[in-house]
Amino acid sequence: MSDVADISMPHAEAAPRREGLARGWFRFRQSRLSMVGAALTFVVLFFAVFGMMLAPYPEHVAGGIETGLRFLPPSWAHPFGTNELGQDVLSLTMAGTTVSVLAGFGVVLIGTLIGTVMGGIAGFAGGWLDEILMRFTDLTLTIPSLILAMAIAAALGPGFENMVLAISLSWWPGYARLVRGEVIGAREEVYVTAARAIGASPTRVLFRHILPNCVSPIIVKMSLDMGFAILTVAGLGFIGIGVRPPTPEWGTMLSNARSYMPDIWWTAMAPGTAMFLTVVGFNLLGDGLRDILDPKGRR
Amino acid sequence: MLLFLVRRILLLIPVIIGLTIIMFAIARLLPGDPVGLAAGPNATQVEREALAQEFGLDRPVWGQYATYVTGLMQGDLGRSLLTRRPVAADIASYLPATLELVFAAMAIAIVVGVPLGLLTAIWRNRWPDYLSQVVAIGAISMPRFFLGLLLQLVFAMWLLWLPLGGRLPIVVMPPPFVTGFITVDALIAGDFSTFVTALKHLAMPAIALSLSPLATIMRMMRSSSIEVMAQDYVMTARALGLPRRKILTRAIARNAFSATLTVIGLYFGWLLGGTVLVETVFDWPGLGLYATKAIVSQDMMPVIGVALVIGLIFVMANLLIDLAYGLINPKVRYA
Amino acid sequence: MTPDLTSLTRRSLLALAGAGLAAASFPARLSAQSGKILIIASNQDIPNFDPHTASGYSAAFLLRNVYDPLVRVSGNPPEAVPGLAESWQVSEDGTEYTFNLNPEATFHSGNKVTADDVVYSFTRAAGLAKGNSWMIRDIVDPGRIEAVDEGTVKFTLAMPFAAFLAVLPWQFIVEKAAVEANLGEDQGQTWLMTNVAGSGPFTVARYEPGTLYQLARAENAWQPGGGNLDGVIWQLLRETATQRLALQRGEVHIAVDLTSEDMDALEGAPGVVRIIEPEYRTFSIKMNTESGPLSDINLRKAVSYAVNYEALVEAAGYAELMVGPLPNGILGHNPDLDVPRQDLEKAKEYLAQSEHPDGGITLRMVHVTGLEQQRRFSLIMLDSLKALNIDLEIQPMAWPDMVAASASPETFPDFFPVYQTANYGDPDNIAFAAYHSASNGNWQNAVYSSPEVDALIEEGRTTIDPDARVEIYRRFQEAVVADAPDVFGVLEMRKLAMREAVENYNFTPVASNAIYCWPLSLN
Repeated sequence: MSDVADISMPHAEAAPRREGLARGWFRFRQSRLSMVGAALTFVVLFFAVFGMMLAPYPEHVAGGIETGLRFLPPSWAHPFGTNELGQDVLSLTMAGTTVSVLAGFGVVLIGTLIGTVMGGIAGFAGGWLDEILMRFTDLTLTIPSLILAMAIAAALGPGFENMVLAISLSWWPGYARLVRGEVIGAREEVYVTAARAIGASPTRVLFRHILPNCVSPIIVKMSLDMGFAILTVAGLGFIGIGVRPPTPEWGTMLSNARSYMPDIWWTAMAPGTAMFLTVVGFNLLGDGLRDILDPKGRR
Repeated sequence: MLLFLVRRILLLIPVIIGLTIIMFAIARLLPGDPVGLAAGPNATQVEREALAQEFGLDRPVWGQYATYVTGLMQGDLGRSLLTRRPVAADIASYLPATLELVFAAMAIAIVVGVPLGLLTAIWRNRWPDYLSQVVAIGAISMPRFFLGLLLQLVFAMWLLWLPLGGRLPIVVMPPPFVTGFITVDALIAGDFSTFVTALKHLAMPAIALSLSPLATIMRMMRSSSIEVMAQDYVMTARALGLPRRKILTRAIARNAFSATLTVIGLYFGWLLGGTVLVETVFDWPGLGLYATKAIVSQDMMPVIGVALVIGLIFVMANLLIDLAYGLINPKVRYA
Repeated sequence: MTPDLTSLTRRSLLALAGAGLAAASFPARLSAQSGKILIIASNQDIPNFDPHTASGYSAAFLLRNVYDPLVRVSGNPPEAVPGLAESWQVSEDGTEYTFNLNPEATFHSGNKVTADDVVYSFTRAAGLAKGNSWMIRDIVDPGRIEAVDEGTVKFTLAMPFAAFLAVLPWQFIVEKAAVEANLGEDQGQTWLMTNVAGSGPFTVARYEPGTLYQLARAENAWQPGGGNLDGVIWQLLRETATQRLALQRGEVHIAVDLTSEDMDALEGAPGVVRIIEPEYRTFSIKMNTESGPLSDINLRKAVSYAVNYEALVEAAGYAELMVGPLPNGILGHNPDLDVPRQDLEKAKEYLAQSEHPDGGITLRMVHVTGLEQQRRFSLIMLDSLKALNIDLEIQPMAWPDMVAASASPETFPDFFPVYQTANYGDPDNIAFAAYHSASNGNWQNAVYSSPEVDALIEEGRTTIDPDARVEIYRRFQEAVVADAPDVFGVLEMRKLAMREAVENYNFTPVASNAIYCWPLSLN
């Protein structure tokens, strides 16, 4: 497989970092799309924290039902109607934000951790260890990730942790390659050579000097990946191997709603739109962050 | 060149071995009771044991793996626990549907995305450029299954313009098998009405699948065109007064497209594994639907087979792209 | 429709494309040119064609159309009607059955169906012990089936079995010579998986696994009373909503997996006939009577009185509440049985007498992953138990894991939802499988065991006189209700819908989604 040209660049040293941040913030604010992304992401995070509390029908979020009020069309009391058990779709969608954001973040975080360990070791050690770890990474990349995640999730059984774990296990290779490229680039930098010269242990060099300088590209990739991680979570839910009831989750809601189309179409609109806006938000934010943190990463 | 090819093809062998080991490890080391699922609710313990024995599931993992690899060398991908049908034959019958869908989606993405990227590069920083940037972000962010549902709702359920799903209506006999692509086979057979029918079935899933590669190709094409436009030779050509159109097609498009090609190659493999959700929405009888069904019943042989086939196609596609890269850009040398 | 494209002008091509579009939107109109083909939409793939190993309703559909049993089931209430056997005699004590084969009966190969084939088929089924053979396990001993002459076969049962004629429609007869010629090393299982050696009114014409199975009228179909069908297609449409829309658009003639919501949407749809009929398919929630908090009968009673039964019916749509353990309307069912209904006063009284008078515990309920109706019932349980200050943890599980959890009272969850389909129209079917302690450790009745109930079930299945059986099953129902081992749920109506063009359809409340197509006609 062709090696994607990895980006490595000299990073700002500690002293002018504050100034760089200020300049970056200025550039970020200049871009209207980035600001939209930041605003959307803020709204999403707001609902992720307060969605359950603000939901107009918190009892529905906890699994309460009102079978007498099934399939009500949108109204003031239920702006997105009610579902097959008489639950308020808006409430479930608001509360679903928490699950999606947490799961997406969990996936990206675990993926980053595994990837950083793999890539860090490979890039730092070099030689045959690098070769083995990277071949393994490439191999994992060739397996269709959604099918891999589905297979693991199905075998582990439904549940939030299982789902996050399953997706993470197909998510790390990108980070491994990114970190490895960064590490190889940083290894030859002056300050690393200096640290080595004064006798710092390899572990110390890796963790104190090299990895901290890989943070910006990793953050950029994480924010760009958040949206897709959330989509994958929803995809598993849509296929029916997601969270357990009564936990509200967008993909599961969409999959349930699908059976009642076209006569009852509104139950699909809220979770679908929420998903779309969340991913747009994270993607715009990621683009904006890339422009200021990792200018050369823009391709 | 020849040496390069041989080397790349030989490299496939460790890929195959690695893929099978990983998939086998997942299939066998995770919890779950595939035999119980396949044997059915009324099965006795004796029946379950017999089934496990029939499929070699009572033997140690390494023994099973050895058997699998031996079979693999003869093109045998094992048998499905649930249907007892050979996986290789199943994949052969589902693969063309997925390939047809992916090719159609890629065709839409390239035909629309490349010129659009070029145009937005020319109109850089004017409103059509901004608009298309926004639309591109939206297209990348749109969940494919939600888009699929919306398309279905509007065009198949409300307007009744397009069929709900599947490749052909059941009463229409598929054209004789040549490529496995119903659209192409219908044309080969000269059966125009079947061709149109197949095309209508293909339209919505292909569009739903094409959106994200389309947006990526467009963005890629735009940025590399901008880069190329700033190059010396384009400047020179302009200074020499070459016709604008000629510059566009000869110099810019050609050079920018070669960079975009890599993206196309990567996306091709990604799409093969990413059809799952679209196939689920549109009841498209392809590999994704096949794998999903197997996964839900923890029937692992089909899953291993699908992962292997998609992985191989992915690697091959990248090899082809590397070759194509050389054709477009003669500066590339194969080491 | 294969025009020569080279001779066409662009304009005429466009016109042709327009015509193609119009035709393609409503392909059912094309069916006129392919004969009378009935299209059935289903979401279940047909696993294999072997009549002695395949199971599930999709296989039942295929088998009952391409194979023949000795007797078939028909009518409402269901009764045995001639199949391969044109008549039969039963001995006084109910242990000897003699069947006279129809002399017209021939296999697709053209050979006559003989008593030898019948003996061979039952022996093969018993030897393989798969598919439907469990229905006659311990009842029919293959050594005691006798080919009296070419057209007569006699069964001597190990014990009287009131439901014998009710299980026979699911025991199919294969052609001995054809199977023996392709025996292989597995009793012909590999061969029969994709080949047919039967005498049924249809044969398999083509199949694409995961997409469709097409049957064609057998050339030498000998069965009397057939309709005008040239063929039948079993089309796989996974989503029930898709089935419903395909039916509305006339792309299929019958849809067999519709939900209550689909039926509502089809109300008044032009050209569509809805069939909503009670069937012997019970849904109840088993409780762990042996281990954990629910081994306390007072807590079980408290739960039984706390459940929002109204919501169960509403969520199930076209359904009625069960009255006790037996399906409403089956022989011996007592519609006046005193069963728990939601009554929070009573629930709290029982709770006060239990070991957890104030609730405050968490119980665990499992359900089959992806079964929408079970998910709904789980949420209703969660909602209902809140009134008792009891929490419910819901855990979707793959079916085999649920089966495995049934193995012992310790692994069995507190609540375990179960659908019981009567495979044959006799109370013994559900009584024995769901309440006799012989099935302990199996999913049908993992833990509940009561010597009194066991004795009544055994008496019921070996008694032949219907009036005596009604009395036995009355006592059985009262004994079970007193023990409260289940939350008795709902009987979901069978929900089918078909085009008006389908003629001569008669509903039978046994496996009615596995449609027997021979009597049907299309106009």
